[in-house]
Amino acid sequence: MSWERIERELARLQEGGQLAELFTQGRAVVLYRQVPTGGLPFGLPPTEDVVVPVPPGYPASMIDLAGLPVGSPFLGRARGSQNNQGVLLVAGRQWQLASYHPHNGGGGPPWDQMRHGFHTYLDHLIAWLDKLN
Amino acid sequence: MIRIAENNVVARFSKGDFQELASLLFRRYPDNEWATFARFGWRHTREGLVVSLASIDPPLSEDMNEFVGHVQIREPYTLRIALSAEQHPLAVGVIHSHPEGCPPAPSSIDDEMDTYYAPYFNDFAPGRPYVSLILSKVKRAMTLSGRIHWQGFWHGVEKFVVETTPVTTWRRAGGNFEPLPIRERTARLNSAFGIEAASRLRRATVAVIGAGGTGSAAIEVLARAGVGRLILVDPDHVEESNLERMHGSQPNDAKQAVSKVEVARDHVLAIDPSCHVEAIVGRLPQSEVVDAVIRADVALGCTDRQHSRLALSDISVRYLVPTIDSAVALEGTDGAVSAQVIQIVRFLSADPCALCRGMTVPSTISQELMSEEERELRRREAEQAEIRGDNPNQYWHQEAQLNTVGFLTTMAGSMAAGYAIGWLTGRFDPPFSRLQMNLLSKDLDVTDSAEVPRADCTCRRTRGWSDQAVTDALLTAPLHWPSARRLDG
Repeated sequence: MSWERIERELARLQEGGQLAELFTQGRAVVLYRQVPTGGLPFGLPPTEDVVVPVPPGYPASMIDLAGLPVGSPFLGRARGSQNNQGVLLVAGRQWQLASYHPHNGGGGPPWDQMRHGFHTYLDHLIAWLDKLN
Repeated sequence: MIRIAENNVVARFSKGDFQELASLLFRRYPDNEWATFARFGWRHTREGLVVSLASIDPPLSEDMNEFVGHVQIREPYTLRIALSAEQHPLAVGVIHSHPEGCPPAPSSIDDEMDTYYAPYFNDFAPGRPYVSLILSKVKRAMTLSGRIHWQGFWHGVEKFVVETTPVTTWRRAGGNFEPLPIRERTARLNSAFGIEAASRLRRATVAVIGAGGTGSAAIEVLARAGVGRLILVDPDHVEESNLERMHGSQPNDAKQAVSKVEVARDHVLAIDPSCHVEAIVGRLPQSEVVDAVIRADVALGCTDRQHSRLALSDISVRYLVPTIDSAVALEGTDGAVSAQVIQIVRFLSADPCALCRGMTVPSTISQELMSEEERELRRREAEQAEIRGDNPNQYWHQEAQLNTVGFLTTMAGSMAAGYAIGWLTGRFDPPFSRLQMNLLSKDLDVTDSAEVPRADCTCRRTRGWSDQAVTDALLTAPLHWPSARRLDG
């Protein structure tokens, strides 16, 4: 696996003010810090951290899924988060993956590795945490 | 005199860039020399460097002395190239011509130039190779020699590869102009294409990705044609269901789960014991497989996996390996066959890549690249989604079983091997970019798709960039794949 492309995408996010880090130990993930949410009207935090697994063979494979910290108030309220797709240990915290598939029939455009990446996936995460049940 | 530590470099060119280069360097031919600086991508393989021409930085009007017959580069040209090297990651090199009939053996003036330039460019672009190549026409053949300074040593170029164009490599002992001894076994091929063509095949290396039905047919054709070196790549072992298609396989191979490349290697050696075979249990783009494939003259894609097709397309662009991809499909239901389709696709570095051509489906590739554990999980999720009344496709797309039969795979593999022979001998090219034909249609329903590259695709800007465009790789090897393994012998 070569991480250079992901690092480049995360650098683009950082230029726009969004913090995101790549973790390569165990299952590789990108951790997005303080993603804006639509939680305020529900008395929920205005931001939340989110992890997204790096798919095997990236960028040929599409980015898929999203994970929230175990115990997050958004679990159960964000789309697909009732459907547990596994638990990961990242940065000393446990994360529960949700059944969220924006590029695979989940509302986003079909995966196009020339246009999409971890820098564009942020938009899906913001939309995901904005439309809460 | 410069001392060469090892002759282990392969230097690659795209067809278009080589034509441009020859036209530039021969502008004062046949008597006077000319030169240009150029940029090269490079990869350090276990057998040595592979460098690929990424672009030419031709001289401007005052950059060189027109009034002398030999090459005299003026300092502003050199400085401009050195300063620009600080802005890109590629290796820098100089390519010059020798007069017609004069072998491309480095002269003492060439030695002086290279002894000056190697440390000079290293100051501006530390850690990168310095490339020095010479081109001339000897006995009417395009003949090249080269040496690379890298990590404190000079390395000789053992082979030049120009897409679809045979060229002669000059070594200190001389060029490989002379035909190899005639072999009776290829007498018909010799009479069809000439003795020179048979020699080129014996000096050639072909990589075949996939040693199943299509690949084994291609391998057999290439071995019988007398190709000197074959690199065979496949991750799988023989199963009973392969026996209908796979040349050289026996029921015992399936019973003992022998790897496909081992069966193919043994079959090749039974056909031609003088053939050098590298058998690798692995897949593209695993590093060891890439190392081997980019030293080949031509690569053939003979798998039904989309990720493999994508990786091969990437290799053709970034490392300038001319590639022919073949595929088959047999369509029909309930015993009625409606179509028997063969597809042959040419991947040259100037051609649209597999992504531009829309030859891949992201969800299919994603599923191909998942670990077995994840596939299982996804299949279960899809079943549960169906029970819930949800869309199961977001978890798992049920792929239709790809039907195929031995006569179809043999035909496709043989065609691919035939076009490879055409390129290697310089005798013919595929007259299409992407061909599809249906054996059951009138006139075979042949279509040649004239596809164009996407403007935003990386294949338009990474041609020849090799490992220096690793950030733009179309595919990376999943960590859960078993390591690639070379078979001994």
